[in-house]
Amino acid sequence: MKKEVPLAITFISGFLLIVALFIPHEPFGSLQERFNDWYIIVSGFTLILGVDSLILYHWRKIKRKEKEAPYSIILISTFVIVLAWGIYSGVKYGNPFAPASSFLRYFYTYMFVPLQATMFSLLAFFIASAAYRAFRARGLNATLLLISAGIVMLGRVPKGEEAAPYFIGITLILLAIVSVLEGVSRVEVYEKIIFFGLAVVSIIAIFPAAWFLKFNLPRLADWVMNVPQLGAKRGLFIGIWLGAIAMAIRIILGIERTYLK
Amino acid sequence: MIDTIFLWIAAGLTLAIFSFLYKDNPFYKVAEHIYVGSAASFWFLYLWFFDVEPKILGPFKEVFHAYGFWGMWAHFGATQWILFIPIFLSICMLLRFIPPVAWLSRWAIAFTVGMAAGLGITGALQGYIVPQTQATLLPVWSGDLLTSFNNIIIIVATLTTLVYFFFSREHKGIIGGFAKIGITFIMIAFGASFGYTVMARISLLIGRIHFLIFEWLGSLF
Repeated sequence: MKKEVPLAITFISGFLLIVALFIPHEPFGSLQERFNDWYIIVSGFTLILGVDSLILYHWRKIKRKEKEAPYSIILISTFVIVLAWGIYSGVKYGNPFAPASSFLRYFYTYMFVPLQATMFSLLAFFIASAAYRAFRARGLNATLLLISAGIVMLGRVPKGEEAAPYFIGITLILLAIVSVLEGVSRVEVYEKIIFFGLAVVSIIAIFPAAWFLKFNLPRLADWVMNVPQLGAKRGLFIGIWLGAIAMAIRIILGIERTYLK
Repeated sequence: MIDTIFLWIAAGLTLAIFSFLYKDNPFYKVAEHIYVGSAASFWFLYLWFFDVEPKILGPFKEVFHAYGFWGMWAHFGATQWILFIPIFLSICMLLRFIPPVAWLSRWAIAFTVGMAAGLGITGALQGYIVPQTQATLLPVWSGDLLTSFNNIIIIVATLTTLVYFFFSREHKGIIGGFAKIGITFIMIAFGASFGYTVMARISLLIGRIHFLIFEWLGSLF
């Protein structure tokens, strides 16, 4: 009973949705839309479980008078104040998210948006320090990562074209150094020829590449995004979705049961 | 006046979060806890007013207003009765709080998992695999050299990336060669995506600095 009923519910809900795809007539026709609404409602209630867990966690901290208890008091107070404000605006304006609502005008504009945007903008600094570690041109693949990221970043900022010749110059010099080091470490003669050749080509290409980028950088950034990036991303996502389908079939057939634990 | 007070609150919260760049400090912790508390409330209200209220309470409201609480039951149509299924499942989800019947919450979880699985299959096929495969079936020669070159790159990148994630055979010989080309394209894609993400974060940072300089300090001078 405790396992069989959930397995049956999973099978029926998943299977009916697949049936609805192939039989677009009543009663199956509107099933997908209706199930989608139910899904949003039921999964939305998981938020209540999350809020309960958050509040309980901080309430325990306050009860135990832990070192960080004052911050927990701030969190619970903010939760209560914002909830009360939202309910008040909901009663007064019909919906706290109505354009005239004080909740939307003051809380959303002056508190929620600045907090969220600043929190995410902090990532710009951490991404920069992560890039320093990830982008060291340690091999061909890392160099390609560096070049494509550089092209996209420079191609999408004003004045990027002016910085690009210096950027490509430094990158090609780095590529030449990496190629020489790789060439020295290789044993096979043909491999040495390839890497030393790459180093020579990189040095020769500095001035033509700098000239090309000065006039074509935004177009090149678009090309990177729309051609090689698109192709690779398409391959990645087709693979991901094929994996998701395989997992979904396992869940519907009851082979995958970890969610019942 | 109220706008000015809230402008200062916004500036204070922005600076408090930026203070983390120096080191973890009480100002940052206060702003962080305000963010978590307010975000929990915000999404709770959003769930109520955009999901629960229109999708569950909405269909009952009209009948309730017309016939009252006791009279409405006789006037429920299929729209209202069928809603008792998601209401029952939602209540099951909340039964997790009552240990003796907590196992009933599995029914609600099973429904969401089954739905996600069903939607995953239909959504993946309709929304991604079929359209993206169609979009990859490009002419190798389109009459224009650059377009043909781009088409070949897209086809090769898609196929070799798929080969890279094909682990049923060892990456040796032809498969190994294709996988190597695949990882090259994957690296270009990751680099481009990284650059794109960095630019999005930088634009957020510019937005916050613009707010501090032009809106907050601008209001002072």
